[in-house]
Amino acid sequence: MGEIKPPSGEPGAPAAAQREYLSDDPRDIGWVRQNVPCQTACPAGTNVPVYIREIIERQYGRSYETNREANVLPGVLGRICSRPCESQCRHGWAGNGEPVAICHLKRVASDLKDAGHRITERLYSPTGKRVAIVGAGPAGVSAAHDLSLLGHDVVIFEREERPGGMLRYGIPEFRLPRGTLDIEMHNALRLGVQMRTGAEIGNGAGQIPMSRLEAEFDAVLLATGCMAASPLPLQGEWEKRDLRGLEGVEYGLDFLVQMHRGVKKTVGRRVAVVGAGFTALDCARVAARLGAQEVTIHIRTAEEYIPVTQEEIFEAKREGVRIKGLRTPVGLTAEGNRLTGIEFVQNRLGGWRNSGRRQAIPIEGSEFHEPCDTIIIAIGQQTVNDFLGTKLELDRWGNVRVGVDGMTSHKGLFAAGDYVNGASTVVQAVGHGRLVAKRIDAWLMGRERRKQVVRIVPVEKPLRERAFDFIPRQHMPTAQLAERMKDGKHEVELGLDEKLAFEEAKRCYLCNLRYEIDVDRCIFCRACIEVAPRNCIKLVRGVEINEDGAYGKLLETKEWNQVGAIWIDNNECIRCGQCYTACPVQCISISRCELTEVEI
Amino acid sequence: MATAKNVRHHVVIGSGVAGSQAAETLRECEPDARVTILTLSSLLFYNRYDLPKVFRGHRDWREFLAYPAEYYRERRIGMRRCSRVAGVDAKRRAILLDHKEEIRFDTLLVASGGRGYVPEELSEFRPLMHPFSSYTEAMVAANEVPDRGHVIMLGGDMIGLDLARTLLDTRHRVTLVAGPQTFWPHEVGADERPGLVAALEKMGIEVVEGADAGGIASIEKGARGLSSRRVLFKDGTELYGDVVMPFFGLVPSVEFMLGSGVDIERGLLVNPALRTTNEGIYAAGDVCQIWSDAERRYRFYYGWKNVRAMGDLAARNIAGGADPWVPAQDETLHVTADGNIQSPFWEYE
Repeated sequence: MGEIKPPSGEPGAPAAAQREYLSDDPRDIGWVRQNVPCQTACPAGTNVPVYIREIIERQYGRSYETNREANVLPGVLGRICSRPCESQCRHGWAGNGEPVAICHLKRVASDLKDAGHRITERLYSPTGKRVAIVGAGPAGVSAAHDLSLLGHDVVIFEREERPGGMLRYGIPEFRLPRGTLDIEMHNALRLGVQMRTGAEIGNGAGQIPMSRLEAEFDAVLLATGCMAASPLPLQGEWEKRDLRGLEGVEYGLDFLVQMHRGVKKTVGRRVAVVGAGFTALDCARVAARLGAQEVTIHIRTAEEYIPVTQEEIFEAKREGVRIKGLRTPVGLTAEGNRLTGIEFVQNRLGGWRNSGRRQAIPIEGSEFHEPCDTIIIAIGQQTVNDFLGTKLELDRWGNVRVGVDGMTSHKGLFAAGDYVNGASTVVQAVGHGRLVAKRIDAWLMGRERRKQVVRIVPVEKPLRERAFDFIPRQHMPTAQLAERMKDGKHEVELGLDEKLAFEEAKRCYLCNLRYEIDVDRCIFCRACIEVAPRNCIKLVRGVEINEDGAYGKLLETKEWNQVGAIWIDNNECIRCGQCYTACPVQCISISRCELTEVEI
Repeated sequence: MATAKNVRHHVVIGSGVAGSQAAETLRECEPDARVTILTLSSLLFYNRYDLPKVFRGHRDWREFLAYPAEYYRERRIGMRRCSRVAGVDAKRRAILLDHKEEIRFDTLLVASGGRGYVPEELSEFRPLMHPFSSYTEAMVAANEVPDRGHVIMLGGDMIGLDLARTLLDTRHRVTLVAGPQTFWPHEVGADERPGLVAALEKMGIEVVEGADAGGIASIEKGARGLSSRRVLFKDGTELYGDVVMPFFGLVPSVEFMLGSGVDIERGLLVNPALRTTNEGIYAAGDVCQIWSDAERRYRFYYGWKNVRAMGDLAARNIAGGADPWVPAQDETLHVTADGNIQSPFWEYE
């Protein structure tokens, strides 16, 4: 299967490496996309099964580097990732148990690698091209790293005093220690990226105009994120009132940014947080640490539908935060200029939005009041465009519109991350930053220099045991309440130790292993079907081919005279290896298939 | 005529008051239907309200059963004990059990009830607490408390206060660490609370306001020669007792319904006919939040009479009815003329 290319292994390399080959066959690329759901779900395309396998082998440094090929911030994302991979993990599918703790294992690679660990980078020779990046958040830093590897001279302009963007100014230290952030930022930028902090883009005094960047650089990338808090839509007398002047009103993003800039923040005894994302949860947990007696998060739908992890919700609750659902604020109450409470309307659940979020439908006549001393509004963030001094095409949400090449309506001006996609997640920003870096490189060089292929490596025997399937998900140890609430910096999650990490890593099905039956050698004895723990080995008369050339639906049959092959349905397969062991004629082969990039 | 192929299969998850009543009503309404109860419990339906009797010396599980096994056999109600539901696929109308068995249904009634809530900030001390929501837990607690022993009760919902009455009757000492959940599920106003707390003290319960001591800092094993449990408060004060029992109200047991396609807030959201957002799935008892037209919100209804009435109503509606829910019991907490507390949630036939 696939286009066979010369072996990539060096003389003297292990036999398997000698026999590995690269394929750009759409069936192979499609196979990986369909069968490795964690990697497909990761916006950065992290090679999850490989880095987990390396943890099983206790090669933590190599595992960290595997992560770093896709994302330059493994230690950061190992702590604060929104984990789109885990919701797709095959181990979490119905009947298979709980998903693998992929995110926690990413942190393991970072935590347990050797001190003085050697970083691997694939450097290209200098191109002489200059790229300016506005914003040193996750998208900007990821793009800067990749562009500098590709040989371009990169300068980042950052208005804050230190790089990191939302990572440094929006996420509390009890979730993301700044030591980890500093190291990974430094590693991402040390290959010659110039970092100009305190440099604000705009047309005011002391600011750098965009026109200067466009004149001095071959390409400019805007990665300023969403740095304006969305206003709270209220009704009646509150509809047009500016809430910022009201004592007791805070906007979540500003609240966190100011705190991380060093401004001393205080909250009242009863704090109400309005919002359902990570920012809302962070604000609530910060409020609890600032001494609030009652902290309640008010959400429009229900806990099941909010886009944060269950572990974060549980830890917030342990810290005394309560969550109340099915309510939308419609007004505030105040005495003079001081907030005294919130007017809500009761909701019922509606259908699903295109974004995958649940709708909430207000119920007429169901208004009620809840007293509070502080409200923290954390319902979302928006982009700010006034610094540009020029008009770019925007979409209906006010985000900058870009083409497939990542370029805005201005030639040479690119955009990435939340500045394009609206408020999203760190891993989405990292993934998009890398993607746009590739587009910028192609535009600067007049051609794409790298393409995606599948590396296929024969595997001698099953890498898993059936017993691994019954290991329960290992829980993240956390700091005791008294310890963590002492200050705002004590990290809550303590990380998996080597023993826990090994147990958790063994749970991974290693979905990148492809089990295949050689029909020419198969004697149709059914031994594999007898031992299969699931309905994963099927009698088929054929296989459909999708439009993109990948394998599609299996055409199953029960009539022996129609059987064209016994086929391992890799979608159902949990890579337990039972079939491989049972086969009397060794007609089942195993190969490791992983996406990688090669020079064109 | 009903044949094996065309009879409807009604599955009830939960064998408590709501589930058992529903199965009984379903059998009456549809004599030919297949009715199956799935329960996590190893025991047949028993009265949770009777559990305090373990402190009066009633320890034989048979004394607690509401009906003998023949009752279910005679009514052709399939009873699957020790069956943990892993998930429900509402579209395919299939239930997946933890041991990988799949059960298909035509209609499903979720009556899985609620389990004792322990605030998340106390969750790390769970191994040192003695819950009291099942026969097994009641027996463990009863075996742990010595004659005239001292029980530290946290929270003090009405289930716990009911147990406290028995404990005092049987010459045990009870200290209540009161908090927001005291008197749950009654909603007690700030003006009513002092009178009710005084009534508790009159009953013989020693009351400590948890908030006055800054809240609970930790629960520990007592040192050698001291009582076996120590509750340490944030202000440095402490309490010693033989057991610590949490009574913070109930939290609906809905985990297995997550991702099923049925709407959930805290409990399963149902319309006044007790139907969920899926037309083949109903819910009854402590697991559901019922839409109240009068109050314009979804709310829980607790108490034995309410729960039994919900089971009955859900079954009748599954069988073709469309009757709305009407609460079956008073929810007011009274202090009698002689200063004693009287709760309708303590009334059990």
